[in-house]
Amino acid sequence: MSHRIYLLPVWLRLWHWTNAVLMIVLAITGASLHFAGSGPLLVPFSLAARIHDIAGVALVATYGFFVVANILSGNWWQYVPKPPGVLGRCWRQAVYYGWGIFKGDPHPYPPTVEANFNALQAIVYWLIMYAVVPVVVVTGLVFLYPQFAPAKMFGVDGLLPVAFLHYIAGSVVILFMLAHIYLGTTGVRVTSLFKMMITGWHEE
Amino acid sequence: MKSVTQSLFAFAVLAGVAVSGASAFAAEVKGAAPSDPALVEKIRQSNAACYGCHTEQGLKAPPRADLDLEKLRQLVHDPAQFDASNHAGMECTVCHGQGYKAFPHAAGAKQSISECGECHATKALRIETQFEASVHAKNFKEQFTCRTCHDPHAFRVAAKLGDPHKIVAQDNAMCVGCHNSDLRFALFSASVTPQKVRPDLDTLHAWLPNTRLHWQAVRCIECHTPTSPVKSLGMSHEILGKDKAEKNCVTCHSQETALATRLYRFAAENGTADLGFANAAILDSAYVVGATRNPIVDRTVGVLFGLTVAVLLGHGALRIALALIRRRRSS
Ligand code: HEC
Ligand code: HEC
Ligand code: HEC
Ligand code: HEC
Ligand code: HEC
Ligand code: HEC
Ligand code: HEC
Ligand code: HEM
Repeated sequence: MSHRIYLLPVWLRLWHWTNAVLMIVLAITGASLHFAGSGPLLVPFSLAARIHDIAGVALVATYGFFVVANILSGNWWQYVPKPPGVLGRCWRQAVYYGWGIFKGDPHPYPPTVEANFNALQAIVYWLIMYAVVPVVVVTGLVFLYPQFAPAKMFGVDGLLPVAFLHYIAGSVVILFMLAHIYLGTTGVRVTSLFKMMITGWHEE
Repeated sequence: MKSVTQSLFAFAVLAGVAVSGASAFAAEVKGAAPSDPALVEKIRQSNAACYGCHTEQGLKAPPRADLDLEKLRQLVHDPAQFDASNHAGMECTVCHGQGYKAFPHAAGAKQSISECGECHATKALRIETQFEASVHAKNFKEQFTCRTCHDPHAFRVAAKLGDPHKIVAQDNAMCVGCHNSDLRFALFSASVTPQKVRPDLDTLHAWLPNTRLHWQAVRCIECHTPTSPVKSLGMSHEILGKDKAEKNCVTCHSQETALATRLYRFAAENGTADLGFANAAILDSAYVVGATRNPIVDRTVGVLFGLTVAVLLGHGALRIALALIRRRRSS
C-alpha cells in the first residue's frame, strides 16, 4: 500500500527542469569553449559561444525567477537547516549513503511537507543555489559585458579573475550536478524521485 | 659522413656570421639618427626651423605674417609623436630634400620627397611583392601607396611599441580610418567601376561575436594577412579577401593560438610573471577564452571530475550488486 504526499508545486517543477536543461547545455558548451581545439567531441567554438551566450542569459532570468518565487512562496525556508542537531543529522545522512543504503535500510529522514530536504541536502542545495550559482551568474554577466570588468587586476588583465571564478564555480556546479543526478536514483525505486520531480507527488 | 656534416656545420656558422654581419651593416640606413651629440644638436636645430611653423605653437605665433594659416592648420605636426616614431632623430630634410628649407617652399619640392624604398631598399622590395597581391594595389595602383597606411612621422613597428594594446590601436587605425570613413573610402573606390559602396565593418563581420571587443584586442591583419614567408618581416603585406581571410575561431581561441606568434610575438619575448598559465604573455593585456588556460587547474578539475564519476559509478554498482544478493536471499 503506497503512501503519497504532494510536495512540489508546478512552478518549482517547471523551474527545476528548465534549470536542469540550461545547466547541462551550459556545461557542454562551456567545456567546449574552455578546451577549444583539443578534441573532436567538442561543440565548434563559434556555435558553442552563441549557444552559451543565449543559454547564459536564459539562466540569469531563470535564476531571478527562482529567487523571487522562493521568497514569495516561502519555499526558501526549506533550504535552511533547522537547529538543533544539524551536524548530527548530516552525519546520519552521510552514514546512510556510505553504509545503510547498501543494506537496503530505509531513508533516515524521508521528506515531509514541512521538511522536504534532509539536513545534508538543505546545506548543499543552499550552498550551490545561493553561493556558487550566483558567482557563475554574476561572472557570466561580466564576461558577457567585458567593458564592466576591471581593466587590470593583480597586474594581469581584469577579465582573468572573472574568467577564473566563472570556470571554477562552473566546475563546482557540474560536479554537484553529477552527484545530484546520481542521488536522484536513490528513491524507493530508481525512478521514483525523477517521477516526483515531474508529477510533484512523493511516494513512500 | 661525419666530415660532411662537419663541413656543412662550419659552412652554416660562416654563413650565419656573414648574414649577421650584413644585417649589422644594413642597420646603417640612410639618414639614421647619429649618436654624436654635436650632430644630434645640429639636427635638432634644423628640425626646430620646420617646427617653427608646423606645430600648434607655430600656428599660434607664426614667425612670419604672410603665411596661409588655413593651409598650415592642416599641416601641424607633434614633435613628441615624431620623437617616438621609427624615424625619431632623423632630420626632416633627409626625406623632404632641400626644397622646404626656405619659405615659400620650392615649387617642385613635393616631388622630391623620398620614397620608403630609397632607404629601405631590400625590405621595401619584398613588401612590395606582397602588397601587389592585394586588392588595394590591384585596384588603386597609383593612389594606394605605402604612405596611405604608413605615416612616416608617427608609425612605430610592433617590436618597438611592445604593448599589444598600442600595437592594435595603431595598426587598426590605419585600416579603420578608411574602412569606417565614407569620405576617405570613396576617395579611393571612386576609381573603380562600378563604384564600390563602403560596406559596414560590423555587418561584414556579423559572424564574429562582440566585434568591437575584437577590434580592440586583435588587429585586422591577424585574419587578413597570411604569415610572412620572409622571416625578417613580422607580417605579410598581402591583404586577403573574404575567400582566404581567417574565419576559424580556434586559430586564436585554443592553446596553440596563432596570437602567440603574431600579435604577441614581442610580448612573449619579454614575458613577465606566468602563474603557470599557457600563453601567459597574453594575460598582461587580455584574457582569451581557450588560449590562456592554466594546465594545473585544468588537471585538478579533470581529476576531481574523474574521481566523482568513479565514486558514483562504484557506489551504484555496489548498490545494484548488494540489492541482487538481498533479493536472492529473501526468495
Ligand atoms: C631617408 C631615408 C628613409 C626613408 C625615405 C624612410 N625611412 Fe624608414 N627608416 C629610416 C631610418 C634611418 C630608420 C632607423 C634605422 C632602422 O631602424 O632601420 C628607419 C626605420 C624604419 C622602420 C623601423 C625599422 C624597421 O625596418 O622595421 C620602419 C618600419 C620604417 N622605417 C618604415 C618606413 C616607411 C613605411 C617609409 C616610407 C613612408 C620609410 N620608412 C621611409 C630611414 C628612412
Ligand atoms: C615660415 C613657416 C614655415 C617653415 C619654417 C616651414 N614651413 Fe612648410 N609650410 C608652411 C606653410 C604655410 C605651408 C602651407 C602651404 C604653402 O603655403 O606653401 C607649408 C607646407 C609644407 C608642406 C606641404 C607642401 C606641399 O607641397 O603639399 C611640407 C611637406 C612642408 N611644408 C614641409 C616643411 C619642412 C620639412 C620644413 C622644414 C625644413 C618646413 N616645411 C618649414 C610654412 C612653413
Ligand atoms: C622618413 C621620411 C620623412 C621624415 C624624416 C619626415 N617626413 Fe615629413 N613627410 C614625409 C612624406 C613621405 C610625406 C608625404 C606624405 C603624404 O603623401 O601626404 C611627408 C609630408 C609632410 C608634411 C605635409 C603633409 C602633412 O600631413 O602634414 C609636412 C608638413 C611634413 N612632412 C613635415 C615634416 C617635418 C616637420 C619633419 C621633421 C620633424 C618631417 N616631415 C620628417 C616623409 C618624411
Ligand atoms: C577574426 C578575424 C578577422 C578580423 C579580426 C577582421 N576580419 Fe575582416 N573579414 C574576416 C573574414 C573571415 C571575412 C570574410 C567574411 C565573409 O565570409 O563574408 C572578412 C571580411 C572583410 C571585408 C570584406 C572582404 C571582401 O572580400 O569583400 C573587409 C573589407 C574586412 N573584412 C576588413 C576588415 C578590417 C578593416 C578589419 C579590422 C578592423 C577586419 N576586417 C578584421 C576576418 C576578420
Ligand atoms: C594596407 C595598409 C598598408 C600598406 C599599404 C603598407 N603597409 Fe606596411 N604595414 C602595415 C601594417 C598594418 C604593419 C604592421 C605594423 C607593425 O608591425 O606593427 C606594417 C608593417 C610594415 C613594416 C614593418 C615590418 C616589420 O616586420 O618590421 C614595414 C617596414 C612596412 N610596413 C613597410 C611598408 C612599405 C615599404 C609599404 C609599401 C610598399 C607598406 N608598408 C605598405 C600596413 C600597410
Ligand atoms: C585609404 C583607404 C583604405 C585603407 C587605408 C585600407 N583599405 Fe581596405 N579597401 C579599401 C577600398 C576602397 C576597398 C575596395 C576595393 C574593391 O573592392 O575594389 C578595400 C578592400 C579591402 C578588402 C576586401 C578585399 C577583397 O579581396 O575584396 C579587405 C579585406 C580590406 N580592404 C582590408 C583592409 C585592411 C586589413 C586594411 C589595413 C591594413 C585596409 N584594408 C586599409 C580602402 C582602404
Ligand atoms: C585573430 C584572433 C581571434 C579570432 C580569429 C577570434 N577571436 Fe575571439 N577573441 C580574441 C581575443 C584576443 C579576445 C580577448 C578580448 C579581450 O578580452 O580583450 C577574444 C575574445 C572573445 C570572446 C570573449 C568576449 C567576452 O565576452 O569577454 C568571445 C566570446 C569570442 N572572442 C568569440 C569568438 C568567436 C566565436 C570567434 C570565431 C567566429 C572568434 N572569437 C575569433 C581573438 C580572436
Ligand atoms: C552551469 C552554468 C555554467 C557553466 C558550467 C559555465 C561554464 C563556462 C566555461 C567553462 C566557460 C569558458 C571560460 C574559460 O575558458 O575560462 C564559459 C564562458 C562564458 N560563460 Fe559560462 N558557464 C555557466 C553559466 C553561464 C551564465 C549563467 C552566463 C551568463 C550570464 C555565462 C556566460 C559566459 C560567457 C559570456 C562566457 C565567455 C564566452 C562566451 O561569450 O560564450 N555562463 N562558461
